[in-house]
Amino acid sequence: MATGRKGSIAKRLTRMNMLVSATVLLLACTGFVAYDLATFQATLVRNLSIQAQVAGSNSVSALTFDDPSAAERTLSAFHLAPNIVSACIYGPDGKAFATYRRDSSARIPSNPQIVAGEEENHWREHDDLMLVHEIVFQGQRAGFVFIQSDEQNLIERMKHYFTIALAVLVLSLIVALLLSHFARRSIAEPVAQLARVARTVSQEKNYAIRAVREKAEGELAELVETFNEMLEQIEERDHSLRTAHNELERRVEQRTGELAAANKELESFSYSVSHDLRSPLRSIDGFSQALLDDYGDTLDTVSHEHLKRIRAATQKMGLLIDDLLNLSKVTRSPMQREAVDLSSMAQSVAAELAKQDGQRQIEWVIESNVQAHGDSRLLQIVLDNLFGNAWKYTSKHQSARIEFGLKRQNGSSAYFVKDDGAGFDPEYSARLFGAFQRLHGAAEFPGTGIGLATVQRIVLRHGGRVWAEGAVEQGATFYFTL
Amino acid sequence: MWLVCIGFAFPSGFSVAVDAQQSKPSEYQVKAAYLYNFSRFIEWPARPAAETGEPFAICVLGKDPFGPILDATVSGQGAGAQGLVARRLTKPEDALACQILFVGDSEEGHLKEILTALGKVSILTVSDIPRFSERGGMIEFVLKGDRVRFEVNLSNAVNAGLAVSSDLLKVALTVRKNPQSGA
Repeated sequence: MATGRKGSIAKRLTRMNMLVSATVLLLACTGFVAYDLATFQATLVRNLSIQAQVAGSNSVSALTFDDPSAAERTLSAFHLAPNIVSACIYGPDGKAFATYRRDSSARIPSNPQIVAGEEENHWREHDDLMLVHEIVFQGQRAGFVFIQSDEQNLIERMKHYFTIALAVLVLSLIVALLLSHFARRSIAEPVAQLARVARTVSQEKNYAIRAVREKAEGELAELVETFNEMLEQIEERDHSLRTAHNELERRVEQRTGELAAANKELESFSYSVSHDLRSPLRSIDGFSQALLDDYGDTLDTVSHEHLKRIRAATQKMGLLIDDLLNLSKVTRSPMQREAVDLSSMAQSVAAELAKQDGQRQIEWVIESNVQAHGDSRLLQIVLDNLFGNAWKYTSKHQSARIEFGLKRQNGSSAYFVKDDGAGFDPEYSARLFGAFQRLHGAAEFPGTGIGLATVQRIVLRHGGRVWAEGAVEQGATFYFTL
Repeated sequence: MWLVCIGFAFPSGFSVAVDAQQSKPSEYQVKAAYLYNFSRFIEWPARPAAETGEPFAICVLGKDPFGPILDATVSGQGAGAQGLVARRLTKPEDALACQILFVGDSEEGHLKEILTALGKVSILTVSDIPRFSERGGMIEFVLKGDRVRFEVNLSNAVNAGLAVSSDLLKVALTVRKNPQSGA
C-alpha cells in the first residue's frame, strides 16, 4: 500500500512532466507548421522565382549567341531539384529555345504565358505551380524562363517536419523522464516518507518518531519541519497531560486515604466516647439511687428533689448515648439487603407504640403489601424513628391520624409517614435532618435530635433520598426512597 | 564601366536584329549582331579622358562582307547614333581608335603586320579568317552547320587588357589559351 501510494505520486509527477512537455512540443510544432504552411506558398513562389532568375541569367549568353545546347546544359541542373517537373527558356520572340523535362510526360507551354510588360507571372495547374519570368540583360529583354514545380516540395517538407517533430518528441520525452526522476527524488520521495511517518505515528500512537528532512527543499522542507514541530508539541502536551493525570490520581488517593482515616477515627472516637460515657453515668445513676434508698429517710424534700433531677438527667443522657451509638452503628455495620415487607413492619411498630399508652386515640392507616429491598434491621430503625416522631408530635392533640404508604408520582415512588400533629415551619425544613437539631423545645416534646439524622444516614446508605413537607400545626409528612 | 553604359544607352534590346526579319537571318546579319553583342560580354579598360567623348567604334578592315547590314545593326540599337558607329578602314593604323576590329578575308596575307601594328592596344579583333584565333586574333567566326559559332583566344584578349565574361566563354565553341602568356 505504501509503495502503491508512493508510486502513484511519482508516477503522477512523471506523467505530468511527460504530458506538459509533449503538449508544449505539439503546440510549438503545430504553430510552427501552421506558420510555415501559411508562408510556404509565398516562399515556394519566391524560391521558384529565384531559380527562374538564376536559370535565366545563366542563359543570357546562350540566347544572345543562339546556343540552345548551352541553355539546355544550364537547365539540366534542375535534375538536382526533384520538385521541378519541367523548365523552358524562350527567346525574346516567345519561341521555345531550350527545354528541360523531369520525365517524358512533362508538358511545356508552347509560348510564355505572360502579359507584355509584366516581369513575372505564376499560376497553379493541377496542384503544380507554374512560373514565367522575363530574362532581362542590360536593360533589354533577352527572353523568358518557365518553371513548373509539383507538390514534391510540400510533401518532402511535411515528411521532414514529421521526422524532426517525432525525433524531438521522443528526445524530449526521454529528457522529461530523466527530469522527473530528479523530481521524484526531490518531491515524491520526501512526500512519501512523510506519509509513511504520519501513518506510523497514527497507527502506533508513537509521537516520538520524526520525519527526516534529507532531500526535501522549499515548502516540502517546511512541511516536514512543521510536521515534526507538531509531533513535538503533541508529545509535550501528552507528557504534561500524563503528569497532571498522575498528580491528580496521586492526590485523590491521598485525600481518600486521609478522609477514610479521619472518618474511621471520628467513628471510633464517637463510639468509644459514647461507650465510655456510659459507665460513669451508670455510677452517677446507681449511687443517686443508692443515696435515695439508703438515706431517703434522713434527706429533706429539697435533697430528694435534687437527687430525682440528677437521675432524670442521667437517664436522659443514657438515651442520648444510646442514640449516638445507634447512629454510629448505622454507619459502621455492614449492609445486608433483602426483600422486606414494610407494611407488616409498620403494623408491629404501631402496635408497640399503642401498647405504651392505651389512652390515646390514634387512627392508624397503613397501606398493605408495601415491599422494599434493603437492610431490614436498618429499615426497622427508620420506621421506629418516623412513627415515633409522628406519635410524639401528635401527643398534644385529642385524636390523631398516622398514615404509612407508598406514593407514586411522576413515574417514581416514595414511601411516606404522615401525621396531623404539630408540624413544623417549612422555612427550617433544611435543618430537620441535622444531628442535634431540634425545631421544638425539649420541654414541649422530649427528644435527642438524633433520630432524623439517623434516618437520613440509613436512607443515604441505601442510595435513596429523604425529605419532609409540613406546616406549623398542620402536620408533617416524611418521604423517603431506597 | 563601358559595358553598363552601353547597356543602358540602348535599351530597346538586341532582339531588333533578329526580329527585323521573321525569316531566317542571313549569315552576315547574325555576324553583325554578334559583333555588337560581343561588346556586352567584354569590358574594355577605361579610356583616357581625351577620348571619352569619342563614340564606340566597330570597324571593318579590308574587304567588307557586311555592306549595309552592319550599319543597319549599329543604327538599329535605337538612339545609339552618337555612341555607336561603324567604320570602314583600309590601313591598320586607323584601327587604333576602334574598340572592335573585324579583319576581312582580304587581309589574311598580312595578318601578322596588322596584329603587330595594333600591339597591346585594347581592341577586340574578330575575323572569319581560318585559324584566326590561333594566329594572334581574339575571336574567330566558325560555321557549324547553319549556325554561326565562334572560337575565343582568351590569352590574346587578356593581353590586350580586355576582360571577357565567363558567360561568353560558356557559349564559345573553343576557348584557347596560349602556352605562354605574352606572345
